[in-house]
Amino acid sequence: MRAVAPALVASALLLCDLAAANSQAMTVQDALNRAVTLPSPPQRIVTIFASNTEMISALGLTDRIVGIEAFTRYPPDVLSKPLVGGRLGFSVDAVVRQRPDLVIVTPARQAANQLIDPMERIGIPVIVLQQGTVAEVLANIRLLGRATGISQRGDDVAAKLKARIDHVVRRVSNRERPRAIMITGRIGSGLLLVARTRTYTGDAVALAGARSGFAGDGLLAQVSPEAILNADPDVLLFAGNQRDLDELISRPGWRDLRAVRTHRAHAVSRAQLLIPGPRTVDGIEHLATLFHPQAFAP
Amino acid sequence: MKPWLTLAVYLVAVLAIAACAGHDWATPSELLRAAAGDDSMRSRLLVEWRMPRVLAAALVGALLGIGGAVFQGVFRNPLAEPYLLGSAGGAGLGAAIALLVPFGVPQWLLLPLLAFAGAWGATATVVVVSRIAGAVDAAGLLLAGVAIAAILSAMRSFLMLALSDETVNLQVVLSWTLGGIQTPTWLGLGMLLAVAAGCLALTLALARGLDLLGLGETMATSFGLDVRHFIALAVLAGSVVVAAAVAYGGLVAFVGLASPHIARWLVGPLHRPLLPASALVGAIVVTLADALARSALPPAEIPLGLITAVAGGPFFIVLLAQRLRS
Repeated sequence: MRAVAPALVASALLLCDLAAANSQAMTVQDALNRAVTLPSPPQRIVTIFASNTEMISALGLTDRIVGIEAFTRYPPDVLSKPLVGGRLGFSVDAVVRQRPDLVIVTPARQAANQLIDPMERIGIPVIVLQQGTVAEVLANIRLLGRATGISQRGDDVAAKLKARIDHVVRRVSNRERPRAIMITGRIGSGLLLVARTRTYTGDAVALAGARSGFAGDGLLAQVSPEAILNADPDVLLFAGNQRDLDELISRPGWRDLRAVRTHRAHAVSRAQLLIPGPRTVDGIEHLATLFHPQAFAP
Repeated sequence: MKPWLTLAVYLVAVLAIAACAGHDWATPSELLRAAAGDDSMRSRLLVEWRMPRVLAAALVGALLGIGGAVFQGVFRNPLAEPYLLGSAGGAGLGAAIALLVPFGVPQWLLLPLLAFAGAWGATATVVVVSRIAGAVDAAGLLLAGVAIAAILSAMRSFLMLALSDETVNLQVVLSWTLGGIQTPTWLGLGMLLAVAAGCLALTLALARGLDLLGLGETMATSFGLDVRHFIALAVLAGSVVVAAAVAYGGLVAFVGLASPHIARWLVGPLHRPLLPASALVGAIVVTLADALARSALPPAEIPLGLITAVAGGPFFIVLLAQRLRS
């Protein structure tokens, strides 16, 4: 009964929230400094990219999603939603077919480029979100809460995530920060993609209590394997599966890396660390246990 | 008169088909309802997005057709393509800079401007370089153009690698270099129409000179044409046309090559009829290719440049084979 009561209160609050929101138009400022006005809380939302879909789902609004793009894999109950785009870009026709009252995009792959202009002309509100840091992920969850007429729930969801991050930050503070490098992909020519410091992934690594394995920020996201061997990080992270990591570190030179010798080369989840959404917090918690195993020892 | 009627009928038919084409095909009655001012989301899509796009595609095609006819005339080489002269490469570099470097200037203004500056700069460089090298003939110009185009494309690739990040994405530039019609507003479309009309008028003024040049440089000189001066002028006029096409349509290959050939079959080699006929053929080809790009693989859109290259490549090979055999 104790557990039910807060839930009842929460849903009552939510109803009040909805009622209040219904009576007024809402204007939010998006990542491109556009003022987006929503005449009423949107009921048919097209969420472009996994990050935006996951944020809307985290707010409990999965059933309002009417369109996603082809690379969105989570949560499972969005997979049956109509597709409005994929590898070759995004279709204005397919978006309009869903008669959305809100489109949420991020300026990645051609989405913002291809959709903002037509949607504005057709009269469909578009919110552009960017998540360059973990803090921006949380801010965007709050913003989406306001935009969809459930600001209280947005604040609650963001606050819970924030509390989990704060917990991690407290646990790892005052500890020696290992030097970490995260490999996020490999390209054909043998070059490796690494997470740069000024991205949400780099931010997640820092929050989890590590520092960059490279001196300086690095302009390019792609580096030669040699650069990683020279940097010789304390922890080597590979966003992908264990088999690919094993294949990589069994190569000549890699075996002698400090991180490999000390068994601190780890495969980590792409979904958690390469999608700037609520699951990034799971990623931070996992990274922290890898960086500071003693701090999280049972 | 007959070829003009044929071209006009084809253009109207193709425009009508293209206006219907999309991932969701529109019926003619839907189009009429939308044009009559219906306010549904679907009608707004058709009026504000699809119709300007179709007309922009036709105008970009017309520009490519005109540009191709000018360059083939200047170089007296039916294999000449605007792209061989570095003008498209220069426009490409200018556009990449506009897309990747945050200048704080609105992109609709910056992109055409820098594409334009790039095309002018590259073409002027080609002309100057070939003069310094002492190559006044067409082959020398073309080779200088190939060299400059290679340098420009390398610079563009480097910019794409160095400056792209998660927000200003590589793919935007990439998709632009693969070709694709920018959908203008109705006002923008009016401007594009004015630009295209201006380009046609500008190049028509060069028609007689291009005809004379076709007789050979000696003959043209004996008819009183200042060949060197005229070539420089015509090359610059051609690059204006190409820059306009590139600014609105990205890098769309082979239309500039194919359209003048098809037009020559219909109206003969004289440039006064050839230039407008080539514009019409280009308009028909690009309108059709763009309709295909928008409707073939829902929900995605195929880059226009890929369609024209796949269709135009074999055309180029056939022309090359004919020329080598003769």
